[in-house]
Amino acid sequence: MLRILAVGAEGAGSGGLLHGIRQWVGEGGVEIEAAPDLPRAVRQLGTGRWHVVVAVLGDHSDDDLAWWVDTLRGAAAAPRLPVRREDFLRALRRARPITEAAVTLPLVEPHAVGQYALVGQSAAMLDVYRLIARVAPSTATVLVQGESGTGKEVVARAVHINGPVSSGPFVAVNCAAIPENLLESELFGHEKGAFTGAVMRKIGRFEQAGGGTLFLDEIADMSLALQAKILRAVQEREIERVGGTDTIPVDVRLIAATNRDLKEAIKQGRFREDLYYRLAVVLIRLPRLGERGDDLLLLTAYFVRQFAERYGKQIQAISDRALELLRNHAWVGNVRELRNVIERAVIVATDDVLRAEHLPEEFRGEEATLPDRPEGALLTLAEVEARHITRVLTHTNGQIGAAAEILGIHRNTLTRKMKEYGL
Amino acid sequence: MTAPLPPVRVEKALALLPEIEALGPLRALLVSISRPDERALWSSSGPYLTLGKRGVQPEELRRRMPQAFHVITEHLQTLYRAYVEALECQQRADGGGAVAALLRAGHGEERVGRLSQARAWYDVALRVSQALQDRRPEVESLRSLGELFLRSGQYAEGARHFQRALAIAEAEFDQTGAIAACEGLGEAALAQSQWTGAQAWYARGLRLATAGGDQRQIGRLERHLGVLARHQGDPTVAGEHLRRARECFESVDAAEEMAGLLNTQGQLEAQLGRPQAASGAYREALAWLQRAPRDAGLEVTIRLNLAELHLEAERFLDGEEEMRRAEQVAIAGNLTGRLAQIYTLMGKLRGRQLDETGFVFFEQAIELSRMLEPSPTTEAQVYVEYGLFRERLGQREEARAYLERARELYGSVGDVADRRRVEAELEKMTA
Repeated sequence: MLRILAVGAEGAGSGGLLHGIRQWVGEGGVEIEAAPDLPRAVRQLGTGRWHVVVAVLGDHSDDDLAWWVDTLRGAAAAPRLPVRREDFLRALRRARPITEAAVTLPLVEPHAVGQYALVGQSAAMLDVYRLIARVAPSTATVLVQGESGTGKEVVARAVHINGPVSSGPFVAVNCAAIPENLLESELFGHEKGAFTGAVMRKIGRFEQAGGGTLFLDEIADMSLALQAKILRAVQEREIERVGGTDTIPVDVRLIAATNRDLKEAIKQGRFREDLYYRLAVVLIRLPRLGERGDDLLLLTAYFVRQFAERYGKQIQAISDRALELLRNHAWVGNVRELRNVIERAVIVATDDVLRAEHLPEEFRGEEATLPDRPEGALLTLAEVEARHITRVLTHTNGQIGAAAEILGIHRNTLTRKMKEYGL
Repeated sequence: MTAPLPPVRVEKALALLPEIEALGPLRALLVSISRPDERALWSSSGPYLTLGKRGVQPEELRRRMPQAFHVITEHLQTLYRAYVEALECQQRADGGGAVAALLRAGHGEERVGRLSQARAWYDVALRVSQALQDRRPEVESLRSLGELFLRSGQYAEGARHFQRALAIAEAEFDQTGAIAACEGLGEAALAQSQWTGAQAWYARGLRLATAGGDQRQIGRLERHLGVLARHQGDPTVAGEHLRRARECFESVDAAEEMAGLLNTQGQLEAQLGRPQAASGAYREALAWLQRAPRDAGLEVTIRLNLAELHLEAERFLDGEEEMRRAEQVAIAGNLTGRLAQIYTLMGKLRGRQLDETGFVFFEQAIELSRMLEPSPTTEAQVYVEYGLFRERLGQREEARAYLERARELYGSVGDVADRRRVEAELEKMTA
């Protein structure tokens, strides 16, 4: 039974939409309930499972659309009133597609690293595995380079676990996450009273990682002054706590990672060349997800199984259309973005197949955006704007607020533009 | 062609800006135009992004400066006009008009978060009003001062002003003034966990409001009584008060009041262990809020309550998303105090995931709660959660130090209930 909630579809301003919907979808097998406006619809929304919500946007259209997008995690803007039968049915089909062909998700054997896993059989990843196997048994310092979300920390853990200090701790520090004024004491520790707030002696991450591995993630985000102190620690194998006078020997394997081009940073005077050569004794470059071919299906299968278990779902397959959408996506956030998208999809999936409608709205938006143009054709300003908005929405995983921030416009303006362009 | 320079981090930009009150609008502009680093969105530091790690382009700040000048000019114009109006009123011996104009200026200062400046205007208004035969302006002045003290966490001082307002209002048969004073006294008592006192004041206000028949005022007092009953652990009575409040607000289509009421309803449902109903109430509150004049503060409150609900259900992804939305609302609305609350909750979330790097949120929250117009209560709340975070990670000494700091801060503002709560945590830690 298809259940439709029609909001604001009665009365003068709606163009008799409720009456129209009843006629168009037929009474059999369809249950339609009406709510006068958004605030009153919220209660009905919570009382049952609706397959489709049809909302007429009234005087507060921008705000209301933003609310629906936030609440339903996506909404498709319909044409202006009065709505024609064909337009409505097309929108309905898009919201609730018919049964699709699906492929069974393959079983994946990951290269497990504790709770982490390296998944993939592409040539680029096989090279990475070979390099890990070669470098791990030594104590050489390693620099892992790759775009955001390519799995730098997982590789660092693999090097640690397969190396000579695997019985020691693996301590990870995200240099970009920690405020600059706190990073030094986080890394080297501090003595009691070294600064306001230093209520007791603190052991830094270098000491915590003693006999194990220290993983410095996003190393390019460090100030030059701190880089000099890291260089000293790497060269001399000793540190000093902030506010302390004693020299403390440290015995750690250092692995650093970055998503930036460090050579370019050296040219710009933002990164010390001597430190670069100290860190990049062995350099492991991780490929972008887009360069990993069929790994996408393996990763998808791996994440679907992982999250299906976590959320108590039984998902065995993915529809052709959903897989096609995943393959066509730009994946700015690489594997991390894919993991995020799959987790969301598993949460909203209701049966044993992961379908296109379980993916974020922008994925379908990418497919349905503007009509295809011959390659090289000139676009109108509106087309360029619509494409750019779609790109940014994809980048932010559908979060309107974050997309509005990147675009430098108010979220209401963005929702209005999304409505205007049918995104 | 040279590549454009990367944006400057907000933490660095703020470090360059002296803590001078006159630079407040510039600071607000800087915060509101800051953007998250696009590259950081999917990076491993992305989940730890705070205000300090956002970026700002000096060129954009320069371009948008006229906007700040416009805000400053407009604000000064409001103040100067109010003063001239007060002067004109005095010239024609209209003392009440003069007080009203001075209070208007004070409210303008309060709206932009300049609380000490607001107080200066209210003090002058009170002095002028005390020389008048008509005592209603004095009631209004005392009420404004009382509300200001409550807002700054000085509850005893706030109560003292409301007491005086009530005495005068009753002597003058000023029913509106008396109801407002009862409401304020109830608020002050509630904030200090004096449940019996709060009950008495709200009930008295409700009796007066019922006699007057103003549905909005009746609804407000019913809602306060509902909040009180919830704090006292009596959900049945709380539910009954909230139901009556809802009837009142719905009858006058009071959208903002409805949003506030549904937020309280959500908190009650959450307390009763009914997350579905709580979530529904919060969503409905957000929907009503769209019908009301923009109130970024209330939106942040509702979103944080929703996030807390997700957190309790261990739906960390949803919780984080809601917190990030609250963060965007707070940044756009220049609500730095609220940002401290948001980051505290984000830190709590990381603590639940046993993620040590979550400490960055508490550090940012502490910094924010100490910025202009510092709030000891907010800072204390941050230290409590910071302490519990450290304890969860097994760092007991640090946990104890943070809780002791929170106890000290609560003590300084006379918040007995929260101080006791912290003491109980400290005892638990010792046991």
